[in-house]
Amino acid sequence: MDQELLVRQIMQEVLKNMNVQSSSAACECADKVTVADYPIGENKPELIKSASGKALDELTLEGVVNGTLSAKDFRITKETLELQAQVAESAGRGFFAVNLRRAGELIPVPDARLLEIYNALRPYRSTKAELYAIGDELINEYGAVVSGNFVKEAADIYEKRNRLKK
Amino acid sequence: MRSKRFEYLDARPVNQDGYALDWPEVGFIAMNSPFDPTPSIKIENGVVVEMDGKAAADFDMLDAFIAKYAINLDFAEEAMATPSLEIARMLVDINVNRAECLKFTTAVTPAKLVEIVGCLNVLEIMMGITKMRARLKPANQCHVTNVKDNMIQIAADAAEAAVRGFAEMETTVGIVRYAPFNALAIMLGANVGRPGILTQCAVEEATELDLGMRGYTAYAETVSVYGTEDVFMDGDDTPWSKAFLASCYASRGVKMRFTSGTGSEVQMGMAEGKSMLYLEARCLGVTRGAGVQGTQNGSVSCIGVPAAVPGGIRAVAAENLIAGMLDLENASSNDQTFTHSDLRRVARSIPQFIPGTDYICSGYSATPNYDNMFAGSNWDADDYDDWVVIQRDLKVDAGLLPATEEEVVAARNKAARAIQAIFRELGLPEITDEEVEAGTYARGSQDMPDRDVVADLKAATEMLERGVTGLDFVKALYKAGFEDVAESIFNIQKAKVVGDYLHTASMLDSDFHVISAVNSPNCYEGPMTGYQISPELWEKLSNIRTAVDPSKIG
Amino acid sequence: MAIDERLLKSVIAEVLKEMNAASAAKAEEVFVSEGMTITEIGDAPKGTNPNEVVLGLAPAFGASQTTNIVGIPHADIVKEVMAGLEEEGVACRIVKVYRTSDVSFIAHDAAELSGSGIGIGIQSKGTTVIHQKDLPPLSNLELFPQCPLIDLETYRAIGKNAARYAKGESPNPVPVRNDQMARPKFQALSAVLHIKETEHADRDKAPKALKVEFK
Repeated sequence: MDQELLVRQIMQEVLKNMNVQSSSAACECADKVTVADYPIGENKPELIKSASGKALDELTLEGVVNGTLSAKDFRITKETLELQAQVAESAGRGFFAVNLRRAGELIPVPDARLLEIYNALRPYRSTKAELYAIGDELINEYGAVVSGNFVKEAADIYEKRNRLKK
Repeated sequence: MRSKRFEYLDARPVNQDGYALDWPEVGFIAMNSPFDPTPSIKIENGVVVEMDGKAAADFDMLDAFIAKYAINLDFAEEAMATPSLEIARMLVDINVNRAECLKFTTAVTPAKLVEIVGCLNVLEIMMGITKMRARLKPANQCHVTNVKDNMIQIAADAAEAAVRGFAEMETTVGIVRYAPFNALAIMLGANVGRPGILTQCAVEEATELDLGMRGYTAYAETVSVYGTEDVFMDGDDTPWSKAFLASCYASRGVKMRFTSGTGSEVQMGMAEGKSMLYLEARCLGVTRGAGVQGTQNGSVSCIGVPAAVPGGIRAVAAENLIAGMLDLENASSNDQTFTHSDLRRVARSIPQFIPGTDYICSGYSATPNYDNMFAGSNWDADDYDDWVVIQRDLKVDAGLLPATEEEVVAARNKAARAIQAIFRELGLPEITDEEVEAGTYARGSQDMPDRDVVADLKAATEMLERGVTGLDFVKALYKAGFEDVAESIFNIQKAKVVGDYLHTASMLDSDFHVISAVNSPNCYEGPMTGYQISPELWEKLSNIRTAVDPSKIG
Repeated sequence: MAIDERLLKSVIAEVLKEMNAASAAKAEEVFVSEGMTITEIGDAPKGTNPNEVVLGLAPAFGASQTTNIVGIPHADIVKEVMAGLEEEGVACRIVKVYRTSDVSFIAHDAAELSGSGIGIGIQSKGTTVIHQKDLPPLSNLELFPQCPLIDLETYRAIGKNAARYAKGESPNPVPVRNDQMARPKFQALSAVLHIKETEHADRDKAPKALKVEFK
């Protein structure tokens, strides 16, 4: 048991560090955007791609009408949310930036699964183990480290406040 | 024998309202309850170990969440050590700008926030709102609903409301299974009236997220938070589930704000003996801690509770001010009915109408109140001319524009035809020409023919099962010859890829430019600063349809 | 045939209920109000009869509160809902939900106990929800939020519609009523009634089966 816990903690630490490194690497090669670049869609449209890799000017009404574009072409990306988080920070809204970054991590989670996880976080829905398993799933399958730890933190608080599944 | 004076007074509208004396033991008190905690904070190694008189070991969920996520701890000790009266004076001092105020107000605890606004009279609260509002220009939001869930009428009323100037619109349902049609109708109708209007459909939280993911809505607002843990549980959420939900929305590029308000905890029976305003300050702490850009607050649907106790309407204005003090977008309620008295309902709206908030009503009923499915609004379609005349009287931009019968009828007709066409293209139950005609000229659902509700509900459910998305709306409208409306709805879907409109206090203009607190922040610093009505707009606001031109008389 | 089978089932249900009652006799609580006596007969079991609707009553219903917000006796409300169910030939089982005073959760708990998956929840002040067990708790099939507007005819229609959902039909929803002046007049009173109801809620207490007798 203790060993398993240890391995788990080490893995989390490693993943956390990997995440920090990869995002700081991203920041070194690209200057941060600021309030001056906002709205990015107008001032720096070249920085934005949709989840399917389409450039902003490729998202056209004609494409929708003739069926060459579909719903997946209209999904926001983690990179775009990172840009918006940088804008939020430069406007003095660090709290909002945290939410945008947490959101960025959740992009790869499918709609149906995201709804399930939200419902599992509601009071009396899950056991502590179930919430921890969700936390691990978010971290290991989607690289959503902040969100995964956030779910685990919720599990601990729910336990303390008697809000777990009975 | 009865006094004739009192007999007459008893029959006045104001005496049809319900009132109660304070009952602080159960939280039936607007603000400054003897049972409210005294502000305090103790931080050790970057962690809050005591907040508002409570040790960390005794924190409930809300305390724990607020202490960890909602307070700027770097400046907290200094801000908490500054007398509340001093911070209150900063809020009304034109020589202290918004950013300087925020430095203090975002670094204090809920009890401190309440103590600060407790120092202000209602005029000073309004001065505070003038400076602390996030966006430069005030705007307005409306409700578009009807008692029959008639989608033709929703589309037509939304189109009219757009012509009349609303920047944002909200629908809800009488019958939950109608939600997809109502969401479609309001998005379509609003964008017929004025491209770029953001729309939403208020339903249960998970269902609302689902509609957003499908592209049926452009934002969400009915994401409620509550000021005590027990009421939070009855709302079927926790601060953690709500914060996660907030991130879910942003992960799909959908704008959202939380909702809270004084009185909800009393209304739901579990206020823990704290004042309504203190509990609301906790809600706003949770909102900020969740990293949400804004709030709909101002008692909202519980307005009958604070309005029943002494000083309740002042407390409602104070909660709007606290939203600004936490740098949140504020859709400031002024929505639900709370009085039989026309005098009282105007007085209730003054603290938001005059300073202006990001969305003054949230919302104003775009139908007569008998059709308002939020149980009636403080302002309704029958008051449209009163609102624009009061704007004109006081030279205030409170978000509405005068409109002519011709432009309103034309917009309604186009919206009704567009929804008829999209229903045909999507294989949904027929909308007849008679219904289009009725929708064009209707005042409310009493003027609309009945529909086959069972067939509609079946089709609405099937539409979701078929996986119809917002992009299918675009295609169907285009094919049906409504290319301009198709383009508007396309642009809204595109805005979700860019994410500029996720930011604080955003709205879209008719060219889909984002206007928010980022590129258009409030910069009020005293007379002749901040938002000013342009000469062109003043011309429009002045020119109401019932005004005579003196030069043409005689 | 169908009627006989139903009869048989209801007889069996009655016997089981009585047996339950006998075994839980010690825990029995009796609430007498105008026109109605409610007896608690032990924990409410999960139903298996697909032809039943469970009516969930809020903690203070028929006990410390005995009329709704406009003075309609609780006895008459229960009678009308039962009559609506009976008209459609659907059995009614009545339970008291204690863990919450929230009407959506009460209705959802009732739906989860119901053999058909359909439940009705009624608060003491009169607010009513028709629920289905597969829906999220705060969603619903039909919601009647403005309790001052619900008359006895509507309560009967609510029973009738719940019965039709239980039979797998798609009834026309009971027409929604709306009076924007209900809030100004009743919201403060409604809050007081709800506070008093919530005082009787007990998060850890299981739903109780009820025997309801009318005088």
